[in-house]
Amino acid sequence: MALTIFSIMIVLLLLGFPMMIPLIVGAFVGFFMLFNGFDQMETMIQQMMAGIRPASLIAVPMFIFAADIMTRGQSAGRLIDMVMSFVGHMKGGLAVSTAAACTMFGAVSGSTQATVVAIGSPLRPRMLKAGYKDSFILALIVNSSDIAFLIPPSIGMIIYGVVSNTSIAELFIAGIGPGLLILLLFSIYSVIYAIRHNVPTEEKTTWGQRARAVQKALWPLGFPAIIIGGIYGGIFSPTEAAAACVLYALLLETVVFRSLNWHGVYETAKSTGLITAVVFILVGAGAAFSWVISFAQIPQTILGSIGIDEMGSIGVLFVISIAFFIGCMFVDPIVVILVLVPIFAPVVKSVGLDPVLVGTVITLQVAIGSATPPFGCDIFTAIAVFKRPYIEVVRGTPPFILMLLSVSVALIFFPQIALFLRDLAFAK
Amino acid sequence: DTWRYAFEEAMDEVQGKYAQKFKEVIEANSDHEIQLFPYGTLGESADIMEQAQAGILQFVDQSPGFTGALIPEAQVFFVPYLLPDNEEELFEFFRTSKAVNEMFPKLYAEQGLELLTMFPEGEVGITTQEPISSPEDFDQVKVRVMTNPLLVESYKAFGATPTPLPWGEVYGALQTGIIQGQENPTFYILSNKLYEVSEHLTYIGHNNFTTAVMANQDFYQGLSDADKEVVQKATDEAFEYILEYQKGQTQASIDGIKEAKPDYTITVLEDEKRQPFRDAAAQVEEAFIEMTGDSGKGLLEQFKADLEAVKK
Amino acid sequence: MTDANHGSQEQSNTDTTGLDDAPLTAYESSLPGFLGTIDNGISRIESLMLAAGVLLMAANTMSNVVGRFVFQSSIFFSEELNRILIILITFAGISYAARHGRHIRMSAIFDAMPPKLRKVMMIVISLVTAVFMFGLAWYALQYLMTQAGRGRVLPALQIPVWMPLVWVPIGFFMTGLQYFLTAVKNMIEKDIYLSTNVLEGYDDNEQEI
Ligand code: NA
Ligand code: NA
Repeated sequence: MALTIFSIMIVLLLLGFPMMIPLIVGAFVGFFMLFNGFDQMETMIQQMMAGIRPASLIAVPMFIFAADIMTRGQSAGRLIDMVMSFVGHMKGGLAVSTAAACTMFGAVSGSTQATVVAIGSPLRPRMLKAGYKDSFILALIVNSSDIAFLIPPSIGMIIYGVVSNTSIAELFIAGIGPGLLILLLFSIYSVIYAIRHNVPTEEKTTWGQRARAVQKALWPLGFPAIIIGGIYGGIFSPTEAAAACVLYALLLETVVFRSLNWHGVYETAKSTGLITAVVFILVGAGAAFSWVISFAQIPQTILGSIGIDEMGSIGVLFVISIAFFIGCMFVDPIVVILVLVPIFAPVVKSVGLDPVLVGTVITLQVAIGSATPPFGCDIFTAIAVFKRPYIEVVRGTPPFILMLLSVSVALIFFPQIALFLRDLAFAK
Repeated sequence: DTWRYAFEEAMDEVQGKYAQKFKEVIEANSDHEIQLFPYGTLGESADIMEQAQAGILQFVDQSPGFTGALIPEAQVFFVPYLLPDNEEELFEFFRTSKAVNEMFPKLYAEQGLELLTMFPEGEVGITTQEPISSPEDFDQVKVRVMTNPLLVESYKAFGATPTPLPWGEVYGALQTGIIQGQENPTFYILSNKLYEVSEHLTYIGHNNFTTAVMANQDFYQGLSDADKEVVQKATDEAFEYILEYQKGQTQASIDGIKEAKPDYTITVLEDEKRQPFRDAAAQVEEAFIEMTGDSGKGLLEQFKADLEAVKK
Repeated sequence: MTDANHGSQEQSNTDTTGLDDAPLTAYESSLPGFLGTIDNGISRIESLMLAAGVLLMAANTMSNVVGRFVFQSSIFFSEELNRILIILITFAGISYAARHGRHIRMSAIFDAMPPKLRKVMMIVISLVTAVFMFGLAWYALQYLMTQAGRGRVLPALQIPVWMPLVWVPIGFFMTGLQYFLTAVKNMIEKDIYLSTNVLEGYDDNEQEI
């Protein structure tokens, strides 16, 4: 059954059907085969609703809206001018700043999709202007955003912690090492890319010019203050911080900078709604499809035939990595964690693996899977927001996947990448 | 046949333990196989309930608190200080109560569900950042509650600021300080690591978390007498098993928390200090009757009669 | 912008400068006469719901923060209201996106096909998509009626669970209709259309600088 469904989905995808159709047809065929007919299709609708329902998803349209207002107005431009005044003269400086901004924003907001929009939409035009290729920019944005999974707060780690009975606080700390390592690799790659493609640099600015740029960015610097201060200060949940950014952006652009009138606000809200719908229908269809996979116990069937009990701890970590990587290529990461973690729990225990290490390995795979074709929420978001064809959004991905996979392998052989900080913090 | 059974908790939490025992008895006494679907694998609580009603799932475990939208009377389990905190009385109540064993099955049947059993999961404790010993201590304390009117009413009565928050955001919100408290049974506080982001756990004795196991009614009615008997046998054996399991379970959870965080304070509020909370809670009972009308009132009266009967 | 080449027709995916969606305002139904008027009206309602949904969501979420901090009391229906709004946005949005040819697809192989085959494929894709959208509209209606029959209410708002679901079958149906009309348009017109209003093809002049 699994093979039939996957084949149909891939064919429909390649033929150029709207992306929702492979997912919907996959779920549809699944329901048809599971229940010998059309009797239970209502549950498919139920699961599509369940997919778009989680409260944390509300942050996505809110950050899209805020980013959209900032980009149409002056806030985003002023912030980027400020960053450029410091890094514009360095080879790859803008690309490294973009990666770092994605990591930081993703870390705080907890939403990779929101990161793609909030950081990607103002920075992409600037990178294009600076001379980077679009395929590189898009891959950089999508993949850097996924570092968010590893850096606290991370909803994936919370769920893993609950299902596997592992300390969430320890998981949070363990994710930081690999997260920063990935950021470092991306930064090195960005610099090499900039040198090899001879991306021009800007003239070095004086401290006076920098001070002026900072001064011009004073108002927009309220955004990082709202997000970082608001969330860590216990004022907002990430979703609420997103809404606060909307409010602040509206205030700045309509009252302070006067760069947006109310008609512009209306248009912006409409375009935000459109992007949200295009992405969320895929999230919903993906949830219905995940339900089929989970109900039919397909992972259990596949994993049951591998004989994982015979392997050593390195072997088990490899199997786990591959299982989560493949799972997240097709299915929503949260569902993958909920379904697969209990299946692996006994073997993890029997070979004596540190559950915190396993959690970090899994979270990393989840991050990679979400940025990897064919199905990935962040890819969908990038397509919807930047209006670039699918193939172009994923074209620049291979070098990034290669870097991410090497970090995965490194993590398996050198667990200290994740556990060093944890051991330090918890005095183990 | 393969029967499917979904529940709201993870495999090694109370509902999961019950389900595993249920599965074990069914499979030992019949040719049927049971597939278990823990929390989230087929959707949230409301989703699996609907799937059981649709006949996709044969068995489902949903706590009456979540059933409130479907069967308002089920919210009686949210009325504070109704259930006894004496374990033997509590267990005997669930074994013998007419309200639980005769009145509720009728209400569930109207929704196409065969109520197999209800059982307690453990006393509800409240985690906070500062110690709690009176309603005054709750002043300005934001306590996360499920979006349920009676829970909201209860915490208002206790003097706290009830704050609704999606479950996924609770750990983070406790860490950053958006909220200062939340309530759950002890095993859940342990398994969800809520002690990591709080300093005090207080039992004011206001409730014991209750859950219910149901079968799809068409499925159940269509079973042969022999199969029905197997299901009843599994229900009863798992019920006694889970009561036995609970006896040491709260203490084991407390030990688990203490081991992970030795300086964590755990307080069982003594009886006279509970009195102000008990007094405040009277208004919640009125709110329940207002919400559920005569049907709820009748149920509540029967509930109290049943409780009186098991008092030692 | 290449709008000038095609009159009021939009060109899909022309924009590389981010989120600027100026062409969205220019929806003109390609249906004749009275039907066209209705279609334009529906498009306007959809866009109104999209914008209002997003604005309400922001207002609702912020009010909750203000309530919690200033008045020490949260808005209990805040989360439920957002859930209702997200359904509204998603299902008003999918048909609006279908009108404007904005649904995400992977067109690499499709684009490499000869034009004749592309036209045939576009008709097949539109029809198959329409069929599934109509199917989902039907099952969404069934689901809605099941919910109505159970009489469940949302715990905080105390309104029936089925009410916010009303937009689901309508959204699927309107989307199916758009794809159906796209198939028809491709059958009668010479060019290849992504939606009733949008010609296929990406504008390449701005990319890969
Ligand atoms: Na994060
Ligand atoms: Na993917």
